[in-house]
Amino acid sequence: MSLEVACKPELEQDQTTVLVVEDEVLIRLMIADALRSQGITVIEASNGEEAMHVLQSAVPVQLLLTDIRMPSAVDGLALAHAARAARPALKLIVASSHEANDEVTNLADAYFSKPYELNAIVNRVKSLLKEAQHGGQ
Amino acid sequence: MADSDAELAELAGTILVVEDEVLIRLVIAQYLRECGYRVIEAVHADEALLVLRKSELEIDVVFTDVEMPGSMDGFALSQWVRSNRPGVDVILAGSVGRAVQAASELCDEGNHVPKPYDAKGVHDRIRRLLASRRPGKRDLQSTLESASLGGPVQ
Repeated sequence: MSLEVACKPELEQDQTTVLVVEDEVLIRLMIADALRSQGITVIEASNGEEAMHVLQSAVPVQLLLTDIRMPSAVDGLALAHAARAARPALKLIVASSHEANDEVTNLADAYFSKPYELNAIVNRVKSLLKEAQHGGQ
Repeated sequence: MADSDAELAELAGTILVVEDEVLIRLVIAQYLRECGYRVIEAVHADEALLVLRKSELEIDVVFTDVEMPGSMDGFALSQWVRSNRPGVDVILAGSVGRAVQAASELCDEGNHVPKPYDAKGVHDRIRRLLASRRPGKRDLQSTLESASLGGPVQ
């Protein structure tokens, strides 16, 4: 599916916020731009600690997209566990340059190994947001 | 609508927001996006430099905090921009009056805002700055109004 296929008619705008956690700024920018081009609101965090600040605030987030390896005290796995505990309905996509282990696959709604296809991430985000809007877990 | 969105983004320009506090950064970045700007976010000067060194990424204004972790603060980032991206304007935000005053000497007259700042004030500063650079282009506010995007987000 092309990125030109807009998700705006498919997704309610006030329920489409994705928290993107990625420590490499240019990769983060590329992912955020691709999601914003689909009408999705994106909050950017550069590490797990920043993401925790967002998740501990009142800011609504429907989906967390996080890298596993990050140079901070809270890596992606710890963040995923904390996010699941704090916001059980949150959709979760994990990306890593390593193979997913059982812990990751059991925790996440989707897993992508790096390098990943940007279109694939965007499409998975859109399908999970649709699930979230319809109350799917 | 897509055409007017694209026109607005082109008229409004691209702002690189450099702020290490995520909840402050997301508020000002989101506000500026709703005003029609393309916003690129950087957590500190080191990230900002990675963006600024990409010449294909067109940046109009760097809006940066003064005090940040990393290899350089907002002053040093301003100096780097002046030397390496001379077409890019810099607005500094800082809570220390004397430091901000000193920083203003690095920038155009008045290109600093005291912290805490309100998002509308930042938008006004950016809009005036870009309007002064682009006399041939329509005033952003009139563009926003003609596009029926409404007033500033409070």
